[in-house]
Parts: sequence; C-alpha cells; structure tokens
Amino acid sequence: MINIDIGATAISILTLFGIYSLMSISLNLEYGVAGLPNFGKALFISIGAYTAGITYTRLLPLLAGAEAIHPCGPTMGGALQLRSEIMASQPIAGFINFALTLVFAAVIADAVGFAVSYVTLRLKEEWFLALVLLVGGETVRILVRGADDFICSHNGISGVAQPFFFVADPRSRALLFMLLSLALALLAYLCSQRLYHSPFGRMLKGLRENEEVTRGLGKNISLARAQIMAVGSLMAAIGGVLFALNTGFVNTNDFVVNLTLDVWVMVVLGGIGNNRGALLGALLIAIMDRFAQIGAIVLNMGGSEIEFNYVRFIAFGLILLWMLRYRPSGLLPESRLTTDAHDVVRRVIGASK
Amino acid sequence: MTPLLELKNLRKDFGGLRAVDDVSLTVPEGAIVGLIGPNGSGKSTLINLIAGSTDPSAGQVRFAGQDISDLPSNEVFKMGIARGYQEPALYFKMTVLDNVLLPVKDQRGERPWFAPWRRFWQHEESAHAEAAVQALEQVQLLQHYDTLASDLSGGQMKLLEIARCLMGKPKLLLLDEPTAGVAPKLAYEIFQQIARLRDDFGITLLIVEHRLEILFDFADYVYVMHLGKLLAQGGVDEIAQDAIVREVYFGE
Repeated sequence: MINIDIGATAISILTLFGIYSLMSISLNLEYGVAGLPNFGKALFISIGAYTAGITYTRLLPLLAGAEAIHPCGPTMGGALQLRSEIMASQPIAGFINFALTLVFAAVIADAVGFAVSYVTLRLKEEWFLALVLLVGGETVRILVRGADDFICSHNGISGVAQPFFFVADPRSRALLFMLLSLALALLAYLCSQRLYHSPFGRMLKGLRENEEVTRGLGKNISLARAQIMAVGSLMAAIGGVLFALNTGFVNTNDFVVNLTLDVWVMVVLGGIGNNRGALLGALLIAIMDRFAQIGAIVLNMGGSEIEFNYVRFIAFGLILLWMLRYRPSGLLPESRLTTDAHDVVRRVIGASK
Repeated sequence: MTPLLELKNLRKDFGGLRAVDDVSLTVPEGAIVGLIGPNGSGKSTLINLIAGSTDPSAGQVRFAGQDISDLPSNEVFKMGIARGYQEPALYFKMTVLDNVLLPVKDQRGERPWFAPWRRFWQHEESAHAEAAVQALEQVQLLQHYDTLASDLSGGQMKLLEIARCLMGKPKLLLLDEPTAGVAPKLAYEIFQQIARLRDDFGITLLIVEHRLEILFDFADYVYVMHLGKLLAQGGVDEIAQDAIVREVYFGE
C-alpha cells in the first residue's frame, strides 16, 4: 500500500478547485446565463497559460535586471536555473511578473473573446460560435505547437513558477498558492453573482430564452454577447494562468478538447445558470480528478493492467449523460429572480394594502 | 399633418412568393387601426416589416416622418414602435416583473461595467419597479408579479405582453391577434384595455385581428389585405358592408 498524505491531498484538491472554479464560473456566465455555447474554453484557458509561459521566461529576467536565456533546447537548463534564482531571491520581481501576467492574459483573452463573438454572433445561430471556437481552439493549439521558439513547440515550456516560490517550506508554499487560487475564484464568483442579479444579467437571461424578442425589445444583442464573452474569456484566461503556475509547465497537449469538455461537465453537473452550482461542479470534478490520479497510481503499483486515466474519461462521460437525461437543470437549479426590484414591488403592494 | 406611420409601396418577396405586394397605407396619430384579411394574406409579414424584424424588398416604411425601412428591430423599438406577437413570446422562465422590466430603455445597470456595482443603478431600478407596478396594475397582473410567465393563463400572457410593450413607452403599438386563443369574454376585456392605452397614454395602435365583431367595436379605420395586396379600406361601417370583403372573408 501507499501512504496518502491527507493534508497535501486536501491542499492540492482545493487549489485545483479554485482553478476549476474560474473556468466553470466563466462558462456558466457564457452558457448558463447568456446561452452561448462556448466550445472553445480550452482556447481561452490556453491563452492564459501561454502568456504565463512567455512572461516567466522572457519578462521575469528583465524585471530582475538579468538577461533572458532562451528557454528551449540546450539552453533550457540555464533558463530554469536563472528562473529559480530570481524567484527565490527577488520575490518582488516575482509578484510584479505575476500581476503583469494576469493583466496581459486578461487583455489578450478579452480582445480575442470580444472579436470572435462580435463577428460570429452576428449570424443567426449561436451554435456557429460553438463550431468556430471548437475548431479555432484546436487550430491555434496546432499552430502554437508548430511555432518553434514561441513555447518550445511540442516539448512544452518549463520555468513557470508560482509567486510563493521563495517560501522554503513546500507545505506552506502550497498552502499560500491554494489561498491565492481560492481568493481569485471567490472574486470571480462574487463578480458573476453581481452580474447575474443585475439588469445586465436580466438582459442576458432574456437573450438566452428568446433572441428575436430581446432584439425586438430594443437590446443590442451582438454587443451584449460580445461583452459577456469578454468577461468570460477574462476569467478563463486567469484560470489558465493559475493552471500553468500550478503545473509549473505549459504544454499544448493540455489544451485539447478534453479540457473544454471537463469544464462543461462541471457546469452541467453543478447546475446550468447557477454560480453556486458551477462552484459545486468544480469541487466535485477536482475531487474526482485527484482520486482518479491516486487510483491510477494504486492500481499501477498493484500491477494492474487497467489504465485508470481512461476510466476517468468514461466516468465523466457517464456523468454528463446521466445528468442530461435525469437532471438537466443540474444539482443546484437556477435562481428565479434577478434584481431586488421584486422587493420594491412587494413593499409597494404592502404599503397600498 | 404627417401621419405617424406611413407605408409606401411596400413589397416583400420570400423566394418566389410575394408575401406583401405594393402596400401603401397610413396610420394617423392617436388612431386605432385594424388590419384584417384571411390567413396567408400577408398581415403578419407586414407587421414584421414595420417592426424591423425583416427588411422590405422594395418600398418604404416611414415613422414620424423618418425612413425606418432598413433599421434593425432594436432601433425601431427605441424609436417608439413596440409589438406583440401572434404566439405569446414572453420570457417564460422569468417572473412577470422581470418580463416587464427588461424592455426599459437605456438602463444603466445593463452596461457590464456598471452592473456589478448596485449603487450605480439601484435608484434607477427602483423607479423602474414603480413604473412596472403601474403597468401591471393597468392589465390587472400586479398580484402575479412574482409568478413565472409560463404559469399564467393564455389571456394573462396576452395582457403581460401588452404591459411589457408599455414599459418601452411606445408611440405606436403593433398587435398581432391580441385575442388569439382567448375566451370571448376576456377577448372583449383585452380590447377595452387596448382602448385605454390610446385614451390614457395617447398610444396609436395597429391591430391585426380575426374577431371582427370585437375589432369593429373599437377600430377607427380598417384595412383589408388579400393575397399580399390591399383589397379595401375605410371606416368600420363601410368595411362591414363591403361586398368584396364579405366574399373574401366570409365566403358569402
């Protein structure tokens, strides 16, 4: 038997929960609230991850006053060592680099999300967006993989480090990063809750239910959709930055369609249109993910022939099918109300009685 | 005086089908104008053309002196033309109150950068809620403000659609069979409500309707369409007596 470190497992699950939450909340805003089937989640997550890959190998040395070393090929070892020295000795440079990474990732993802949706959503069918993003995400991934110097093509880029790298004790370091990812997830949750319970959220719900009528009631629906895509893409890209920081490594193979589908499972499982449901879905998937990994190791050590990672795919597929068949609204159904106008009306009625 | 709405030689082709053929009509301000004709005569298409849901193949739609032929439906709504649909097209998964608050124009809280900060729009939202109370009271739906639109009866849905239009403060209201699928007694009530919209708010109405006995009680002027063309027009008495209309409509 192997020993499972409960504390470390809990920290890694909660870190993953924070990262997944950013992704699931962003998809919930886009699909759950506004009805936009974003099948390109992996693209926007990868934008965050690639941005981190580039800033940590090119920008970080500049911030620390050193000369960047090419991170690919034979000079990789040197680049990695330089990164470790800077991150360990100059935490301020590390934090500035982290903050700038978030800003760059947000701006790039925002621009891509807005541009893609503004063009494709002018067409009648929103499922056109789904196809464009599905194909676009995969195309970008293959192009990036082929671009040699960008992120070291198919080898992937090493050298991404989480901002608490300078903390010597690995347990505290992991704990701090967990808190960071949970804090960002909380921020995303609060932001999307407020958007949901606002006139903007009401318009998006209207858009989801009847596009034609919503346009007929004076709303610029192409603009509204592009706006929510920009918000969602921003959150997904920040999730992508954390994803890369958590792994310490960016590889194009991580951003295949499977990742998009994982995020979809979270939202469908938790409850379409419910931000708390998105959190619940992210938590359940984070737990299952980690236990699937542990299960794979246990089976492997026991000499089993079963490749447990495939069992994970089968399990996720079954969850998706079962939910869609028996509980299409998810574990937590959507809230009925939008703004607090209902309270105002209740007061007015109460006063007149 | 220029009429509020003026259609000039309007035409709409769907492939080989000419759904609306060279229709010219005017709707004066403050009038209740009826539009009748057998099924497939092009009435609904005409409503769609005015509302901007579809663009004309030829001709012009002029509203308050401006050419609005090619404006998209959201711009048309902002100019002051609201519409109802033949099948109730409500937000069925939203409450009655949310249904009427959504069409309010220029809401600050609809801009994503203001939306998360309630203090930027709460005041405005409360004012809209109070306006919504008035609109819902007008159609006797106030006590149902918290109900999902899907739980309303057919007649209530029609009334909610009218209240929803009202929140956009329209000058012209286009109604496509406002009493379709409604019991006769309630149908008459709906028309009384519609007449009050004109009397209380000065809203001009263009109404497509099959229940001629009710329409003729309320309309000032009636246009008759047949196979995409205008067949006849005139005051209620005139149209009721018109031999051709009777033949087309009642098969007499």
